[in-house]
Amino acid sequence: MDRRSFIQLGGIAAAAALAGKSTEALAQDQAASPNRPARNVASPPAPGGQPAVVTPNGSTLPWRVVNGVKVGHLIAQEVDNEFAPGLRARCWGYNGGTPGPTLEAVEGDRVRIYVTNRLPEPTTVHWHGMILPNGMDGVAGLNQRPIPPGETYVYEFDLRHAGTFMYHSHFDEMTQIALGMVGMFVVHPRAARGPRVAHDFVLMAHEWKIDIGASRPDPLAMNDFNVLTFNGKSFPATEPLVVGRGQRVRIRLGNLGPMDHHPIHIHGLNFKVTATDGGYVPESAQSPQTTVLVPVGSTRVIEFVPEEAGDWAMHCHMTHHIMTQMGHRMTPLVGADTRRLDQRLTRVLPAAMTMGQTGMGTMGAMQMPIPENSVAMRGSPGPFSTIDMGGMFTVLKVRERPTAEDAATWYTYPPGTTVERADAQRMQADGIDTALGPDAGER
Amino acid sequence: MRIPFTTLISGVLLTGCVSTAIHNDLPQVRELARTSVPDGVVEGEVNASTDSQVLQALRQPVDVDAAVRIALAGNRELRALFREMGIARGRLLQAGVVPNPVVGVEFLPERNSRFELRVEYDITGLILAPASSRAASSEVDAARFRAAAAVVATGLEARADYYSFVAAEQKLAIAQQALDALAAARDAANAMRASGNAAEFTADVQIAAYERARVGVSEAELEVAHRRETLTRLFGIAGGEVIWHSSGSLPEAEHQLSVPDRVETTAIEASFALKEQRAHLEALGRQAGMASTAGWMPEIVADVHALLGHPESTETNSLGDDWRFGAGVDVRLPIFAQNRGMAGALSAEFDAQMERYIGTAVTVRSAAREARNRLVSAHARVRLYADVIVPAQQRVMEQALLQYNAMDLSVFELLNARREQLDVELARVETLAEYWTARAEFESVIAGALVHTREGAR
Ligand SMILES: [Cu+2]
Repeated sequence: MDRRSFIQLGGIAAAAALAGKSTEALAQDQAASPNRPARNVASPPAPGGQPAVVTPNGSTLPWRVVNGVKVGHLIAQEVDNEFAPGLRARCWGYNGGTPGPTLEAVEGDRVRIYVTNRLPEPTTVHWHGMILPNGMDGVAGLNQRPIPPGETYVYEFDLRHAGTFMYHSHFDEMTQIALGMVGMFVVHPRAARGPRVAHDFVLMAHEWKIDIGASRPDPLAMNDFNVLTFNGKSFPATEPLVVGRGQRVRIRLGNLGPMDHHPIHIHGLNFKVTATDGGYVPESAQSPQTTVLVPVGSTRVIEFVPEEAGDWAMHCHMTHHIMTQMGHRMTPLVGADTRRLDQRLTRVLPAAMTMGQTGMGTMGAMQMPIPENSVAMRGSPGPFSTIDMGGMFTVLKVRERPTAEDAATWYTYPPGTTVERADAQRMQADGIDTALGPDAGER
Repeated sequence: MRIPFTTLISGVLLTGCVSTAIHNDLPQVRELARTSVPDGVVEGEVNASTDSQVLQALRQPVDVDAAVRIALAGNRELRALFREMGIARGRLLQAGVVPNPVVGVEFLPERNSRFELRVEYDITGLILAPASSRAASSEVDAARFRAAAAVVATGLEARADYYSFVAAEQKLAIAQQALDALAAARDAANAMRASGNAAEFTADVQIAAYERARVGVSEAELEVAHRRETLTRLFGIAGGEVIWHSSGSLPEAEHQLSVPDRVETTAIEASFALKEQRAHLEALGRQAGMASTAGWMPEIVADVHALLGHPESTETNSLGDDWRFGAGVDVRLPIFAQNRGMAGALSAEFDAQMERYIGTAVTVRSAAREARNRLVSAHARVRLYADVIVPAQQRVMEQALLQYNAMDLSVFELLNARREQLDVELARVETLAEYWTARAEFESVIAGALVHTREGAR
């Protein structure tokens, strides 16, 4: 079993297939390793043939059904998260990761969720967007006593409404949310709504401040977030979304970052926002979009049918959110004549290099020595050249036969469909003369 | 005309004799100071031109040992002190001289005795001469100790001045590098300004910082010139035509510092100041003793006389024409003048000198402790720089470069890091010079010099 089929089948089914153990044995394992994907529920959880949600780079929480109640266990703990190759940091999360495992259930289910606190300070869990008894809402002080370190509290409530929700700590919110105490909570409708979808993804946006060379996010940061993630990963660590051309795709976007809203943009298609954490958007109110703003503390569900195969970029459109650990103290030198400076620097600091005279796009390819555990200005190899983006960026891979595709391969371009150097004869025939002045384009 | 001529003749005669004696004193001074002093320093007539050995030595790059050798050969004050050993020598010669007899011859034409010869001799002077000589020989000892002390002190000064000079050269090089770093910052700001990336302000700040730093380099240049002149004076180089060079930078200090035990005792035992004062005390004691002896001793003058002819003879009455002899003794009784004033004065001088002697011992002990403290402290600081601070600052520099590469530091901050590193280098050189100076001082104290510790090499 490879990653592709894992993504295709969804965490639950794939993990069960991987494990191949008896349900009993798995149930015993569960307490010891709570962060393993679901195994005691082997079939898609949603009725009506609705596909299970897939959390790229993440997992789904396993339930154990006890007397008709879905019982789950979240462990709040410190986790070691690799944001991208070369950058790890100690974060706080659930069941070994941040975001925590996706909770996935069906409208009308009763859930009982145990929360064990292994953090050094109290915590709670708030079920963001859900309508439930007030005492289960998880706001420390207001609705409950905070869960002290080392203790396990239990939440139990009915999932009255279908929708795309989230969960997060509601104690020491600034610190705990900044350090990653967040996760998604998907409630499928009892009966499928709208057109059937072939793929159902969950992407949670988050932002972090991890100083270059540091290995723990700064929970005090209010500005200057320099690591932007989908499901805890920055590009190129974000797993691509492989979908079939002409197939309906649903992506559930959530944002529990500390400060910033993210305009998420997808290339090569348009989509409609079908739901928020407040409920379904009536079809009459859905408008076609290519970018959807996902504000802090809300979810946006989009659906689309891609008509063009290829590797399509999907990213936040704030340019600084597609950078990873961009240093902002660099000396701006675009367009500067630095020959004198270069000469001087060679004498004063032979190892130092003047940067940025011609812009910064090629720096990712330079691979200059930088501090340990940092990925500043590190591009990643693309099929044509270095991809200089990082951060909140992933690739939507639209394929003819998505199940047969290896998610790691790049799109194969049909001949004559890529951009090439302009042919001189053709330029002449088309009346293009590059020797003309700046206004040549307008003639 | 006559008198100067004779004075010159006798002077030359006396000098010839005394300069031989200085030649004999020099090996003893060498042994006392445990230093080789060339014979040339007391040879021949005093000459204003620079010693040829000194000129020879200055053609090579000068290291610290060469600096000491040159100073010992060329320093005029030291050479003067060697010559001055001749003063004590001369006084010693003078003191050992026994009284001359007084010879009187008389013609007595009014009498028939035609001729009278009388020889008088100061017997007291003869008796006191050896004691006087002993007192003077103590002063010769004192002069030798003084010269040995000057040898050690000159050696110390040469080392300390040399370290200051080399440190000044190194500090100038560092200041120039710091200026270069500021020039790079200025160039960066100008490039930013010219390309529209920065306000006039950014460029002006960097230009001002660069121009300010040029003053520092200028001061560092003056310091090098000053330290060079200090050494040139010490070397006794007559003209400014001699361009000499140091052999390089200050050596690193050894890892472990070994300080001998019983530093105070060693310093006391070796102290030339104490030895000199003791010799002086001995001389004073002898002079006082002699004065008091002379005071109580009757002044005896014996005389022998011979007479040709009879004193009663006249031209008409010749009573004889043969030789007659007689003798006599004059005794001046010390009834009123007993030389008490002189003896008392000398005795008081002795007591005063004794107080100073004890005071010097206190100073020597204190100076020994202080020299050791400075040495130990300077060594600890030098090692702290070498083992901890310089590597730490090096790591700062390396990390600054990585942060700069990651665009997390501006070029100005990067160059600041370089300047901080140069600041540390500057402090390290200063401390190293302080250490070598402290070490020279400590070794001089142990060798018997009375050292007034310097305030480092800054
Ligand atoms: Cu964004």
